[in-house]
Amino acid sequence: MRVRTVRPMNTSRSDSYVVEVEGLTKRFGARVAVNDVALRIPRGSAFGYLGPNGAGKTTLIRMLLGLTWPTAGSMRLLGLPMPNGRAAALARVGAIVEEPRFHRYLTGRENLSIVAAAREPEAHRRIDGALDRVGLAARADERAGAYSLGMRQRLGVARCLLANPELLILDEPMNGLDPAGMEDFRLMIRGLVDEGRTVVLSSHLLDEVEKTCDAIAIVDRGRVVVQGPIDTLTGDAPTVLVATSDDLRAQALLSGADIEPVDGGLRVGIEDERSIAAINRRLVEAGVDVHRLEPERVSLERRFLEITSRLEAAA
Amino acid sequence: MTALSLSLPGPRLIRAELLKLRKRRGLLAIVAAATLGASLVAYGILAILHAANPVHHGPAGGVLNLGHGLFVLALLGTVAATLVGATAGAGDLSSGVFRELAVTGRSRSALFRARIPGGLAFLLSFVAVAYGLAALATVVFAGYRTVPSAALLAGSGAWLLLTCAFWFALALGLASLVGSRSTVIGVLLAFQLAVTPILASIPVLGLGRELLPSVSLTRLAPHAVRELAAGGSVVPTSLGTAELVVAVWVLALLALGEWRTVTRSA
Repeated sequence: MRVRTVRPMNTSRSDSYVVEVEGLTKRFGARVAVNDVALRIPRGSAFGYLGPNGAGKTTLIRMLLGLTWPTAGSMRLLGLPMPNGRAAALARVGAIVEEPRFHRYLTGRENLSIVAAAREPEAHRRIDGALDRVGLAARADERAGAYSLGMRQRLGVARCLLANPELLILDEPMNGLDPAGMEDFRLMIRGLVDEGRTVVLSSHLLDEVEKTCDAIAIVDRGRVVVQGPIDTLTGDAPTVLVATSDDLRAQALLSGADIEPVDGGLRVGIEDERSIAAINRRLVEAGVDVHRLEPERVSLERRFLEITSRLEAAA
Repeated sequence: MTALSLSLPGPRLIRAELLKLRKRRGLLAIVAAATLGASLVAYGILAILHAANPVHHGPAGGVLNLGHGLFVLALLGTVAATLVGATAGAGDLSSGVFRELAVTGRSRSALFRARIPGGLAFLLSFVAVAYGLAALATVVFAGYRTVPSAALLAGSGAWLLLTCAFWFALALGLASLVGSRSTVIGVLLAFQLAVTPILASIPVLGLGRELLPSVSLTRLAPHAVRELAAGGSVVPTSLGTAELVVAVWVLALLALGEWRTVTRSA
């Protein structure tokens, strides 16, 4: 299996990382859910943790939060070793694991007060502010059982904010949200990052992660296969989409380049944007009409599918 | 904060447990009915019967009816205690909120231990008021019957609170251990109401019967009302044995519940 680290990570432990994981492994009997994972999450960023269903995303989060125990490996959360520093580290962490859960018969505000009671005394004083921030202040005294999924997600974030967290870990937080809700959520996450907090988003909604996050790790079958800044991941190997009057001839004319026939034309790999003019010139001079010449940004979704399908083929 | 202080539940955590229980309307109604309702109905009926036919029905109060009232309150109070204990023990788990509490980093021991005073505050407030009504009735409606002394009233009240607290603790520990409210309610009620009376009535079991919680609890009741409160024959056992049996049951189940709460994969 090919593992590519886009940006080599600093090997010295420092305050630059809110999560540092080495050789983390979790087995459930014969099944390996998390396999020798090494991961570093930079402080003050929105970090996407991506993977197909069953890739081990939630298991890793649960180990980080002390909800289940690793079979092997070491973890540091906010610079503190886990599990020894669990209490001090988690006091500054807010987390939603899978769907946020509440006592349905209690109001939103009462649910927050239940969790605030387990945190520092200041947490109680943060309840109103947290409800206001997620837009639930007006409905805080309704029973949580009457909340929509989107409202429960927002209440879950409000619960995270009670800790005044340095780090928020949100597992699939946009599940079930409508487009407007996703947009609100994205803005809220960016707002939290702008305040200097770190937000870890575990998700399979690649488009949302791409719009929201600064850096990502892609996990597949328990292993982190790629990690690094999104720009680096999606920005390398630029391509251009070319549609012509004669795609077969165009393909022959550009035969030295990395060419892939796609729906409606050709995808041509280029060195940089200056190559686009060269392609155009070569085709036009050869009498091939160019209908479309469009630089293509590699989407996270495409990169994700390339990586995971490559791994699938190798398996 | 020291490790010890982190593992001890503070007043905020205890108040949170109390909030979780008192906001459950169904539980609140059942506990109120099983305690306050039972006391009002039992002594109300006795008073009405006496008023309607004093020749056939004696006064509603006195030591005799204190014993009968204790039997009713202990029986229904035990049911209420089991419901409250099982809810306190498994409520967070069944709603999924236990995970949300665990990720705060707060000691799981503290989370477990907060359930004890929180649940007892909820349960025993009802039981105490219900017993207060019963005690008042036994004095006010004593008529020609022997009026219970202050010491007997105090001892009987303490015994009733102990009995309810005992079954609460067992239900709490067991529910925290197995994680299922309904299973624990079913098992404990069957044990209290069906299995224990059968086992206690089999003389061939000999000293083994002394290990039954109900046998030991009955032994701890004030002598004047012991048989009445037990609702039947009393298995002979020493006071020391009874105290030991009660303590071992409580400590064992609470320890198991706490252990599971601490080690549970959330």
